[in-house]
Amino acid sequence: MASLTPQVTTQVTPEPASPRGGRPRRPRVWRGVVLVLAAVYFLVPLIASFVFTVKVPDQGLSLDAYGQIFSAEGFGTSLLLSLGLGVATIVLVLLLTLPAAVAVRLGAPRLRPVLEVVCTLPLVVPPITFVAGISTVLRWGPDYLASTPFYQTVIALQNPGFPVVLVLAYVVLALPFAYRSLDAGLGAIDVRTLSEAARNLGASWPHVLLRVIIPNMRSAMAGASFLTLALVLGEFTIARLLSFETFPNWIYRISGSQAQVSVAVSVFSLLITWLLLLALSTAGARQRSGS
Amino acid sequence: MNGARVEFRGLRRRFGSTVALDGLDLTVEPGELIALLGPSGCGKTTALRCLAGFEQPDEGEVLVDGADITRVPANRRDAGMVFQSYSLFPNLDARDNVGFGMRVRKVPAAKRHARAQELLELVGLPSVGDRYPHQLSGGQQQRVALARALALEPRVLLLDEPLSALDAKVRVTLREEIRRLQLSLGITTIFVTHDQEEALSMADRVAVLRDGRLEQVADPATLYDRPATPFVAEFVGAMNHLPGLVSGERVTVLGQTLPVDGPVPGTAQVDVLVRPEAVLVTPEGDGIVMVSSFRGSTARLRVRLGDGTEVLADVPGHESARFAPGTAVRVGLVERPVLVSARSEAGAAAAVPEPDVV
Amino acid sequence: MPLLVFVVIVFGVPMLVLLGGTFTKEGTLSTANLTESLQGAYLTSLLGSVKISALVAVLGGVLGTFLAQAVVTSRFRALREAVLTASGVLANFGGVPLAFAWIATLGNSGVVTTTLGLGQHGWSLYNFWGLTLVYLYFSIPLQVLTVVPALDGLRPQWREAAQNNGASTWQFWRYVGIPVLTPALLGGVVLLFGGAFSAYATAQAMVGSTVPLVTLKIADALTGNVLIGHENVALALSLDMIVVAGLVMAVYLPLQRRSARWLR
Repeated sequence: MASLTPQVTTQVTPEPASPRGGRPRRPRVWRGVVLVLAAVYFLVPLIASFVFTVKVPDQGLSLDAYGQIFSAEGFGTSLLLSLGLGVATIVLVLLLTLPAAVAVRLGAPRLRPVLEVVCTLPLVVPPITFVAGISTVLRWGPDYLASTPFYQTVIALQNPGFPVVLVLAYVVLALPFAYRSLDAGLGAIDVRTLSEAARNLGASWPHVLLRVIIPNMRSAMAGASFLTLALVLGEFTIARLLSFETFPNWIYRISGSQAQVSVAVSVFSLLITWLLLLALSTAGARQRSGS
Repeated sequence: MNGARVEFRGLRRRFGSTVALDGLDLTVEPGELIALLGPSGCGKTTALRCLAGFEQPDEGEVLVDGADITRVPANRRDAGMVFQSYSLFPNLDARDNVGFGMRVRKVPAAKRHARAQELLELVGLPSVGDRYPHQLSGGQQQRVALARALALEPRVLLLDEPLSALDAKVRVTLREEIRRLQLSLGITTIFVTHDQEEALSMADRVAVLRDGRLEQVADPATLYDRPATPFVAEFVGAMNHLPGLVSGERVTVLGQTLPVDGPVPGTAQVDVLVRPEAVLVTPEGDGIVMVSSFRGSTARLRVRLGDGTEVLADVPGHESARFAPGTAVRVGLVERPVLVSARSEAGAAAAVPEPDVV
Repeated sequence: MPLLVFVVIVFGVPMLVLLGGTFTKEGTLSTANLTESLQGAYLTSLLGSVKISALVAVLGGVLGTFLAQAVVTSRFRALREAVLTASGVLANFGGVPLAFAWIATLGNSGVVTTTLGLGQHGWSLYNFWGLTLVYLYFSIPLQVLTVVPALDGLRPQWREAAQNNGASTWQFWRYVGIPVLTPALLGGVVLLFGGAFSAYATAQAMVGSTVPLVTLKIADALTGNVLIGHENVALALSLDMIVVAGLVMAVYLPLQRRSARWLR
């Protein structure tokens, strides 16, 4: 950051005179300095990336790089693959986590510590070590299982068109985030009272889950889904080491030949993440004010 | 420890468009416990915070023993404060919470701990020194907070609704204890509350605030029996507003003629202010008991009279069975001077629901 | 519960294999892999990872806390919302795109590099400090997200009670504010450490192998870039990583619990 500071020191905005009897001036000055420094640090790379993508040497500005994204070879297939993996992961992670989170709150609070530990493990284990394990399994699997039906399974897992193994791995990676998001959502709606009220009115358990809990959990589920999607769309390590060309891997591959396009895609994907998050937070806010 | 004299002079404070204090003048005598009573938003807490130094008044000054402290920073004022709730430092045990002020003043640890222990004993918690706030009940936390407020031997003690977050039972014991302590220490105490019962039972004097102004300041009995304004009459205790007709020094109400207490308004049509306990109920008459709520020693009845007027009346608890809802009753008033006020449009509805807080 | 079964299979099996592989060399039980993973270039890479993660964690922790405090004490709600939303996005902005954004900014032909002519002054993004700078880009927002709830949990009564007991602002922070925040702060620092420690994509896209990092070494080994007979060193290195990450996490969980209790 040393190279940035000279620009910054002159930009500190003069603080308005504090009203009589207000807080001392000093804290406001440091707050201004902190905010300006942060703004520079966080905005400069974004702006610079954008400038980088639109500046063509000796020709001025052009948005060509963005146009090229869509026509670049491999863009469509890799993006579709990543999106497909994302959707599959979301479905699977919700199917696994939601019943577990509800069950822990309602029926088996003793299992909560177990679940917490299970959902923390993927945080402790870095993805690269996880993939080291997976790739070893996939390498050894065929040797030991060649004569059994499992062999077919192992092959199917690695189908390059739709690598199920990635979905499985991503579900594990997404577990901690999904579980926390859902658990917080459940905490906010007091499932116990809700489900007891519904049971008291004669609803069956599946009915309670589908008609009472899930509708009240929409924003928490949206949050969990978003986090999962962001994770899958950005995941590089596992896909690369298992040699599947997902979206981030495609970006990485084309960066060698088309630097501008790869930066353009980066900017583009950040924008999309941003929009998704904004949509999510406004949807969440609307639901909160509506209830 | 001796109490100081506290004066608020012409205190004004506004937050944006709302005026919290609108020229408050009040003097608190040394060693006195005064309760600031009023509905929420009446400025009572703001007044206390001006004295503690957490707020600066836009106008006016705060004097302690004649010295203007309006511009003295909060951490150099000689006033201990107990907050509404959860003000104990969560990272310190009870002893260190109480000793915090001494630690800031670099009192040696041994002396600090001894003094903290003394204070914990004073508030009736000799054995909780090692416990952290989250291990204490709400009532215990407030006792520790009280000990902490007293630790630096301030000459003024400020209590900002210290009991409002506690259960009814703890509230009663703790308020008695605070009063006992305050009397034995002789410390000037200002107690902010919205609970009239609390104010009446603890304070030497009660100051009723409304919209940032002082409505009345008086000892509890006077305040209850001779409220200076209709607002005070209604805010403190329950009050019936009955239509009456003034002639000379007497007023006719519910068929009885009673002497008027206090000023007589210019108009003949008035509201007569009568406490429920000054209403006599006897069986058989043109009134009907609509509601009866049993409160142990008494029962409060809502009686509708033949002309549609509703009257609140207190009868002894053991008589409540005789006056079950639907019973026909006669309503009379105790023969004694009554307060009257000019007929207010809103007052046409006879019985005002009391601000029942418990 | 199906969840547990799923985790046992998908997560447990690879971990068991990893453990087994670590302690197997040419078909026999051995700790040779583990020993090798703690020597020479492997050790350097492990230490390099720990070093950069610790640096990022501490710097990110401190800077993120300052930023969070600046936002929390600000009177402008919009600023607060904006910073929190931005933090949510940027904390997830890792991997390859992040590396490219920085390369476009401060890389050899980056916009800022060429504009300010940093190239002539020997500037390079592709070293330890450059990587730190980039890691901070997602670490600081993460710290902001972790610390803001804790700062919000600091009750104004505590500050006022401290003042009322004669404490100055500094004394309030020293005796109450900082101790109360410590669990949350350390918790954040641990998360940052974990994030930087396991980061691979950014480093791979940015520095290749010029900065020794354990994740890069593991990836190298897994992609066959290793002597015959030493494949399992990657697994041993992975185990080393898990142990380090596990130790750090073991610090985090009790802290988290204590913080939650204080800031209820």
